[in-house]
Formats: sequence, structure tokens, C-alpha cells
Amino acid sequence: MSTTTQSDYLLLFRGNVWDRGLSPAQLQKVVSDWMAWFERLKAEGKCTGGHPLEEVGKVVSGKQRTVADGPFAESKEAIGGYFYLTAVDENEAIEIAKQCPGLEFGSVVEVRPVADICSVKQRAEEYSERELAGATASKRAYETVSQH
Amino acid sequence: MLLFRGPHWDKGLSTNELQQAMNEVMAWFEGLNERSKIKGAQPLGGQGRVISGTDGRFVVDGPFAESKEAVGGYLILQADSLDEAVEIARSMPALRYGVSVEVRPILAECPILQRHPELVRRANHRVAEQLWVAAAA
Repeated sequence: MSTTTQSDYLLLFRGNVWDRGLSPAQLQKVVSDWMAWFERLKAEGKCTGGHPLEEVGKVVSGKQRTVADGPFAESKEAIGGYFYLTAVDENEAIEIAKQCPGLEFGSVVEVRPVADICSVKQRAEEYSERELAGATASKRAYETVSQH
Repeated sequence: MLLFRGPHWDKGLSTNELQQAMNEVMAWFEGLNERSKIKGAQPLGGQGRVISGTDGRFVVDGPFAESKEAVGGYLILQADSLDEAVEIARSMPALRYGVSVEVRPILAECPILQRHPELVRRANHRVAEQLWVAAAA
């Protein structure tokens, strides 16, 4: 991964029950620390947006397009919210993620680079190019052979 | 917010099938865009890091790229209701190939605050106190 270009990253905050068992004072502190962190990153131009997500939602899957309730309300994996970051490089994005006030209570932060192009679309284009190149190569081979 | 899970749904498709699936997905995005339903959408890179522990002590590679649960991209939808958002999610063409779509309403306020109304009261109280101090001064 490049270490010189400015890139966008998504921080995904995982775990939606880490506040259980905290005292009101601890909760008050972590919530205000979190808000202050968000405001500081926005003021520094490092964060351009972010939102908490409602705990309940729906999961759509399968050929039958089944709709189920989800994600599980009490989960360490469930995504509880996100920040959209613009960082110098991945290291800076990681350093910012390490400042998350929820970490000491069990919240987990996933740092993901935002891609310019969907990986599937990229693979699709690569396959087509390869196939095209293959077809051109065999055509050339055929022409070479038929010339002799 | 729509979260697209399972970014390796193209495995096992032929070049033609993949091309067609991709065209369908792009047409789906464009259709939503024309109806002004998209506020933002990005694919996410396969590499990433997962940070946990106090002060972010633990930094590991992740998520597992091959995982069906891994988030491969997101779309911020402008929908009138959760039902409309779910209907839009159900029309996503790659569902047929194993992608799943998580539909999550975006909140203005952290749900932790909603669970603990006393924090909101206390915060409001502090604001009122500051106003009172400002007014007195």
C-alpha cells in the first residue's frame, strides 16, 4: 500500500454492547470523549463525516431475496457506526483509529481503505482483457501458421 | 446505509457471466442514481486492519477477504422508510450470486445516549448551567 498519497478510509466501529456494565460517570466520559474526538478530527479536516447506525436493521440475502432481522442486537461483530477519514496514509488512519475512546471498553475499529473501483469490476475487466489478449494471440498465431 | 457483504461473489463465474452480472450491478446503481436515491457509495479495498484493546494495542490484518461476512462496500441511501430501503436492497442483482445486503438506518444520535436518558438530561443540565452563567455575566 502506498505511504505517500492522501487516501480515504472508512473506520467501522464494531460491537454494540460495550457500554454494558459501565458506571454513569464512565459512560458520560466515554461519550463526551467520543464526541470531542469526532469534533477534533472534523476541525483538523481528517474526518468528513460519520454516523451512528440504528441497532436494528434487516439483512437481505439469497436467490429468494429473503429478508431477515439483523444484525444480532447483541454482537461484538455488529457495526455500530462509522467515520469517513481522509488520511495521509494507512499508518495515519491506524493512529487515528487507536485514539477511539471505546477501545478500552471492548469496542473494535476496522480500518478499510476506500477503493476507486470495485474489486469485482476490476477482476471482470482483467478477465475480459486477458480473454481479448488471448483471442488476439491465437488469431495472430493462426495467421502466422496459415502464411506458411 | 446498505452494507454489501461477501466481496468474492464473482468466484466460479465465467467471463461472460461476470461481465453480465457487472453490467446488471452498474445499471442498478445508475438507476438508483437517476432517481436521486444515492447520497454516497464506495467500494472498500480488500486490505484493512482491525484495531482493538486499550489505546489500540492490538492491530491485526483483516477482515478476512474470503469471508462471506466481510464488508466489500457501502451505499448511503436516501429512502423514505426502512421498507423502501429493504425493497431497494432486494433489487440488488448480485444477491443471486451470494452477496448479502445489510440495511441499517442512519441515526443522528448515538444509540448509547438513547439507552441512557440520564446522560442526555445531565448534558442538557450542563448546557442550561452554562447559559445561566453566561446570562449572569
